[in-house]
Amino acid sequence: MDLNEGSALGVFRCKLCELSSPYTFYGQKPPNTRAIVLLEECYGMKDPFSPDREKFLVLGSKCSLCSKTVCVGPDCSLFYTKRFCLPCVRDNIHQFPEQIQAELVKKKTIQKTSS
Amino acid sequence: MSRERDKSQSWDWESRQCRAQLDEIFFRQHDYIQTGSAEHREFWTFFERFQRFTAKRDMSGSKSSRQESHEKKANKKSGSVDLGLPKDYDARYRINVSVCSKDVEERLGRSDHKKRRETSGPGRQEITDCRIALLHFLDFNQKQSFSKLAKLRKEQKSLPIFQYRDKIVELVRTHPVVVVAGDTGCGKSTQVPQYLMTSGFNYIACTQPRRIACISLAKRVSFESLNQFGSKVGYQIRFETSRTTATKLLFLTEGLLLRQIQQDASLGQYQVLIVDEVHERHLHCDFLLGVLRSLLPLRPDLRLVLMSATINIKLFSNYFNGAPVLQVPGRLFPIQVFYQPIPPEEQGSRSEKLDPRPYLRVLQGIDQRYLPEERGDLLLFLSGVAEISTIQDACQTYATHTQRWIVLPLHSTLSLAQQDKVFDIAPPGVRKCIISTNIAETSVTIDGVRFVVDSGKVKEMSFDPKAKMQRLQEFWISRASSEQRKGRAGRTGPGICYRLYSESDYDAFAPYPVPEIHRVALDSLVLQMKSMGVGDPRSFVFIDPPPASSIQTAVTYLREQGALDEHGELTPIGRLLAQLPVDVVIGKMLVLGSVFKLVEPVLTVAAALSVQSPFLRSAQHNPDCSTARQPLQSNQGDPFTLLNTFNAWVQVKKDRGSGSRKWCRRRGLEEQRLYEMVNLRRQFKELLRTHSLLEDDSGSRTGPQDRAQRRERRTERQKLHKLKRDHDFQENTKRKVLRLEEGLEGDGSSGSDEERTASNKRKKDEQTVDIQEVKFKLRHNVNELQEAANASADLSSRQQSLLKLVLCRGLYPQLATPDEHNATRKDSEQVFHTRNKQGVVIHPTSVFASDPEVLQVSEQESSADKGQSNRHQLLAFVTLLETNKPYVSNCVRVPALQALLLVANSVDTNADCTRVVVDGWLELGLTDGDMALKVLSSAITLRGEWERLLQAQLGQGGPGSRGGLVGPKPSRRDLDKLCEGLVRFLLYTEVSYSLRRLTGLQSQNLYIGPQQNTDLSSSSALGFLFPGMKTEPDPIKGGLRVSHFFTYNCLCDSMDLYSECLRTFWSCPHCDLYMPLTPLERMQHEATCRPEEEQQPEEDSESAQTSASSSSGLTRVYHCDLCNKDLTLTSTEILKHKRQHLS
Repeated sequence: MDLNEGSALGVFRCKLCELSSPYTFYGQKPPNTRAIVLLEECYGMKDPFSPDREKFLVLGSKCSLCSKTVCVGPDCSLFYTKRFCLPCVRDNIHQFPEQIQAELVKKKTIQKTSS
Repeated sequence: MSRERDKSQSWDWESRQCRAQLDEIFFRQHDYIQTGSAEHREFWTFFERFQRFTAKRDMSGSKSSRQESHEKKANKKSGSVDLGLPKDYDARYRINVSVCSKDVEERLGRSDHKKRRETSGPGRQEITDCRIALLHFLDFNQKQSFSKLAKLRKEQKSLPIFQYRDKIVELVRTHPVVVVAGDTGCGKSTQVPQYLMTSGFNYIACTQPRRIACISLAKRVSFESLNQFGSKVGYQIRFETSRTTATKLLFLTEGLLLRQIQQDASLGQYQVLIVDEVHERHLHCDFLLGVLRSLLPLRPDLRLVLMSATINIKLFSNYFNGAPVLQVPGRLFPIQVFYQPIPPEEQGSRSEKLDPRPYLRVLQGIDQRYLPEERGDLLLFLSGVAEISTIQDACQTYATHTQRWIVLPLHSTLSLAQQDKVFDIAPPGVRKCIISTNIAETSVTIDGVRFVVDSGKVKEMSFDPKAKMQRLQEFWISRASSEQRKGRAGRTGPGICYRLYSESDYDAFAPYPVPEIHRVALDSLVLQMKSMGVGDPRSFVFIDPPPASSIQTAVTYLREQGALDEHGELTPIGRLLAQLPVDVVIGKMLVLGSVFKLVEPVLTVAAALSVQSPFLRSAQHNPDCSTARQPLQSNQGDPFTLLNTFNAWVQVKKDRGSGSRKWCRRRGLEEQRLYEMVNLRRQFKELLRTHSLLEDDSGSRTGPQDRAQRRERRTERQKLHKLKRDHDFQENTKRKVLRLEEGLEGDGSSGSDEERTASNKRKKDEQTVDIQEVKFKLRHNVNELQEAANASADLSSRQQSLLKLVLCRGLYPQLATPDEHNATRKDSEQVFHTRNKQGVVIHPTSVFASDPEVLQVSEQESSADKGQSNRHQLLAFVTLLETNKPYVSNCVRVPALQALLLVANSVDTNADCTRVVVDGWLELGLTDGDMALKVLSSAITLRGEWERLLQAQLGQGGPGSRGGLVGPKPSRRDLDKLCEGLVRFLLYTEVSYSLRRLTGLQSQNLYIGPQQNTDLSSSSALGFLFPGMKTEPDPIKGGLRVSHFFTYNCLCDSMDLYSECLRTFWSCPHCDLYMPLTPLERMQHEATCRPEEEQQPEEDSESAQTSASSSSGLTRVYHCDLCNKDLTLTSTEILKHKRQHLS
């Protein structure tokens, strides 16, 4: 009955926000997905919100600069050809295109006003 | 991208064929997304949006991206490490997914050459566009799912209990019992099981007092633990389970866990048991705690977690040897309390209706003080349904006037659809005013309540052991309930609570509600305790032991019912009754019914009497409903009406499937109850089968034709399973917005509204899947059911009378007799009496309330001779409940004399048996002594045979059972003969008699009492006439105890002390006997003398098998003084032998 759930390889935990969840695959190839390839080594699981057992969900990966494990949430990391945790993005903000810079500024102000 | 688009003008994204061509490249059968799936449709919708978006961006944003690339070059000097990022920004770089299949690459590669030739097919550009869109679509879906996950985790973290997570796990690891105490909203019910599950505990059971909570918690927790579509988290309730072998966390009811302990005393299947809501102190929960307490030493590896509100925590901790307590703060918003005691002039007396003025003032006050835009609903706590309807009427008038309120009642006798309305949303500027019983205190949680009005009253059920009656009485609530009610105002924001009593009243309240175990009859509990072998119920260590008298009352009752023997041990029937999750009386019906060929109707009746009535009260005054119900009604009694209703419903189900919903609505029936009945019925049937009280009929259906049918059924089941899954998937259906008139329509007292609301709802209903219908079809074979219904519809009058007898014996001693003056009273003022309670009335829902004449002896008949008639009737009833009056409900009428002689525990007579007193309270006066004797002796014979066959059917005679009649199952012929005899007795006993209740004084001086100078020789001389029965002077009543229920000549009627000894000549209709006999001798002869045609040779072979028992039972050693010999003879043979000497 529960074959679709696979067995967890371990628990993924984001080093920044501490979000955690068991993961069932690690790598660039989610199981049973044919043509889909991930462009980074990812921690992932079966998408828990989809009834379809083939659907996967990427939880996070390692920052290409500092190798910290981070989740894919927009408050922790971003992907721009590679995965960067937000602290690394901030450190190298000027190498990123303006769109991303603007986004980050916006995010900061939202965080400030909300907290 | 857009620049190239105009090259392939023939390409049309809107065209179906064009899309299909791309589908063949990207969405093939084995691809991540397949053509035809829901996601595939979503993709194309997404695609259109995406195209519009890119088109807009391309037009406005092309300049800025160029500028940016300049800046970047400038900045690059300052950067320390080159990250090697692309210079031009492209949203594509933000996506970490790629789609690369051979086909896609090939197409992209070759399309350059072929583009001109195949102008109709997708070109390189189209494929690229589609691929980009697909990547964005995948990314979008990832983001959506991830944000759900993040939100979930955030919510979990924000619960007050989250900080205690590690502490809880640690405590459970190191202690066998842990108490977690936390108030509403702290998250204990959803989180604690998850904490334990994620920290490595497997096989966790979590009990809940309510079935509905099991389902909703399992749903919520499986979602939170990311197992929404798996079965790691499941629930199990009486008729439903989602449990599989993969289930690690199971939510179940307290009662069900107890039943599991009954099967497996060590509960080996579980590693952790969580008992939630222990502070509610339900009967089952208190008992469960007691059982678990004694289980712990035997299962040192077992972990027990008690979860409670922060009420009386010490009690639980102390009960478990000072178990550690972890207290978690709740999450409630501040609530302001106003004490507004009701002024004396508005209090009214007990008999008057509740004065609505104090309640209206609160509504007015809210309207004056708070702007309509400030949302927040009102929840009003009253004690009962009548109170609710009074206040509802007044509030509705006010609401109609102000247009600012929607008034909704909430109590358990409302239809489920009406109950459900309280969760719907009021339109802007309007508030809901929910008027509820204490059901909204714990069972039903309504969000959005800002104001609470607390009347401080509650109606609670209590049991009066003296009158054997349930009583629903109004009490002040406890401080704990009061706080709980107040808390309902602060779930979603700061709230206000108006208490319609003074602060000093509050201080005088009891601290906690009275636990159920102190209020209710303990029959079922004691029976269950006996069957679980937990020892003497009187010495069982309860957390808060019930009074010893309660337990004693239950033990006595169970003994009277034959469930316990004189040593207090379970009888075979008692053992079976303990397995049945119903009242003892209902269980008895089932067992009795299975002995005769009445299984199908008895199953239905037993199920119907164990659930709430399907007849909605609100529809009773609706003329359309009454007319539609008419054909279902039976003036034999309410169980027959229920039987008819069920059978008719099954027929409708078979013919029209989910059309039954409409059928029910037209008749004012709550279909949910009928579904419950059909489920319960099936459970009963299985139980009877496992106890071999029912032949297994599953083997009879085979054959080639059936195979096709089975296949058909299998595919149908698959379809149904899918429907159910789909339904489960669309959880949290959106709430409707209420209309302002909603309250008006829901007004239960004005009758015809039911149909009106129904017609509004109908449109919506028909579109959605009727999930009940789906579940019904999954669980039951409607053809089989219909056969069963047919078997119990159109009962012959013989079957009907037998069924009534079965019901009556099941319900005994719950009998009521009509008052002698009923004929002169109005229909609504008919009075009845039970043995222990005088002056009860028939509940207005009963068929006899509207048709009481059928219970009366017609004038001409009775006037002839001082109430002499052969048509006296009694009522057997299921419940006696006192509210404002003592009401009996679910009644069936039975012929008085016959029923009493066949079921009563104590039948006493005078010397010539013309005066019969039953159970010390009903007197039957028969004028014809000969007839009286005949009737009594056939009753004794029938009862003896009935008892014998019943014991045989029940299989092994337990240590306590009489006679040790272990033997083969009773033969069909014996059973048929018994049925025949009973029916003849019930229908064709033509004897006139009077029926009256004894007065208190009369019943005190009823018996002659033990006779010092009883002629012992005469009694022993009589003794030989009673085969298999100990005939001895009754030590209390006097007279002779002939059988366990019959005592002869013990009545002190003084009129004729010698008739006992008077012999009159009598000839036996069966044998040639003709001699002068006393009444008793004659009866005894009849008990053993069988008509010759019945003594057939085949029977001898049967009786030979049971020779041991029969010889001991029927023959005795007789010393004949004349022959001077010891002879082993039956009593008939002795008589014949004696006659030899006479002649």
